[in-house]
Amino acid sequence: MNPQDVRNTAFAMPLHSPSYPTGPYHFVDREYMVITYRTDREALERIVPEPLEIVEPTVKYEFIRMPHSTGFGSYTGSAQVIPVRFREQIGGYTHAMYLDAHPPIAGGRELWGFPQKLATPSLTVERDTLVGTLDFGPSRIATGTMGYKHRELDSLAVMGLLEQPGFLLKIIPHVDGSPRICELVRYFHRDLVFKGAWTGPAALALSSHALAPVANLPVREVISCVHMIANFTLALGEVVHDYLA
Amino acid sequence: MKAEDVRKAAFAMPLHSPSYPVGPYRFVDREYMIITYRTDREALQRVVPAPLEIDGDPIVKYEFIRMPNSTGFGDYTESGQVIPVRLHGQAGGYVHTMFLDDDPPIAGGRELWGFPKKLAAPTLKVERDTFVGTLDFGPTRIASGTMGYKHKALPAAQAVHALGEPGFLLKIIPHVDGSPRICELVRYFLRDVVLKGAWTGPAALTLSPHALAPIADLPVREVISGVHLIADLTLDLGKVVHDYLARAVAP
Repeated sequence: MNPQDVRNTAFAMPLHSPSYPTGPYHFVDREYMVITYRTDREALERIVPEPLEIVEPTVKYEFIRMPHSTGFGSYTGSAQVIPVRFREQIGGYTHAMYLDAHPPIAGGRELWGFPQKLATPSLTVERDTLVGTLDFGPSRIATGTMGYKHRELDSLAVMGLLEQPGFLLKIIPHVDGSPRICELVRYFHRDLVFKGAWTGPAALALSSHALAPVANLPVREVISCVHMIANFTLALGEVVHDYLA
Repeated sequence: MKAEDVRKAAFAMPLHSPSYPVGPYRFVDREYMIITYRTDREALQRVVPAPLEIDGDPIVKYEFIRMPNSTGFGDYTESGQVIPVRLHGQAGGYVHTMFLDDDPPIAGGRELWGFPKKLAAPTLKVERDTFVGTLDFGPTRIASGTMGYKHKALPAAQAVHALGEPGFLLKIIPHVDGSPRICELVRYFLRDVVLKGAWTGPAALTLSPHALAPIADLPVREVISGVHLIADLTLDLGKVVHDYLARAVAP
């Protein structure tokens, strides 16, 4: 294979069977349970990277079912997203994310900079309760529960949340271990089709783990909870700050 | 967190709990079953990237590897295809495919060196008289290797020489807009190798096709040898030996 063909074909590893296809990455019936909680401001100050600013000391703990995702398949995720401000724009900084499928982990990390690790999240309806769990190896590290569709939410208000940008800290090392890429990335959800949103009583428990430190942003008080279903396209991103420049 | 502190702490994602630690990456009691087979030259020509050249006969080394004790990566298993190549006269192995059951070495392998790693379920174990390697991708068995267990010892010098050759990788990382950001040929070495045993014996290998794990695209025409090795070694960081994105320089 000549070098010009390598360059023309290069998208992701392995060259001849990339771990993830080129987009667009469209999600159908993506289902969220988002539990918003108050945490300690000092804990957030330690981890939210400038130039992002903390809006208020809250965290959105998310459990997400993605049953139909172009190129990525059927999988589940769990994440901590911190409400932030970037030059007057309000959005969400994804601090940690755990998935049970490899293509979105490899593609998420390498394309956008999603801070994804392999683990075992779930989101299911258990009779009267919407239950989200996250296991890291044999250890249960997160359990979220919510009353199932107790009260419908105004779709415009919830759509507004999904229309906000997401922010990521993309870091890729050079082959000698030095930082090669260290960038703040912004991305949007496009072509949103909203399918429903509900709220209800909610609770969240986080447990400590050496390699999955979700409990380092402790739950002081559960503020609100949203269960929502939507279709959208996860658009590619743009670099808004280069830490190595 | 101050921007300067982000830059100083940056090694891997997530910043506050990187998926893999900084090295050195030391492996103790790393155990290999390597089944060397002849394949079709045209198949290799389609996948070996220049400036690497196919080294002589069209050969593939199919590897099953147990890594029970690996600093920072833990206890895991791997399986993959390595193609004997030359770069400017230097013999080595081009890692064409690799499947692992553990996230830190997948993320670190891809992002640091450019190992072409995917998540799957490989195994390597002794079943009575047979050394058995398997690779499952999801529910599908795609590789089975078998070998007589320690039938004949191999000379240590021969095994150490093979582990001393460099490995070559094609590291590709996209930019956030999907364009290629990194496209480099990387060379790495295994250092501080302590050989603990090497054996050979009768060997067989079956590969099955899979849409996302196309190991059978390098078909098995004839098994040439089976080698069982145990060694301690350090996987060193790498060096870029060719940049595919560098602007062409007029000759």
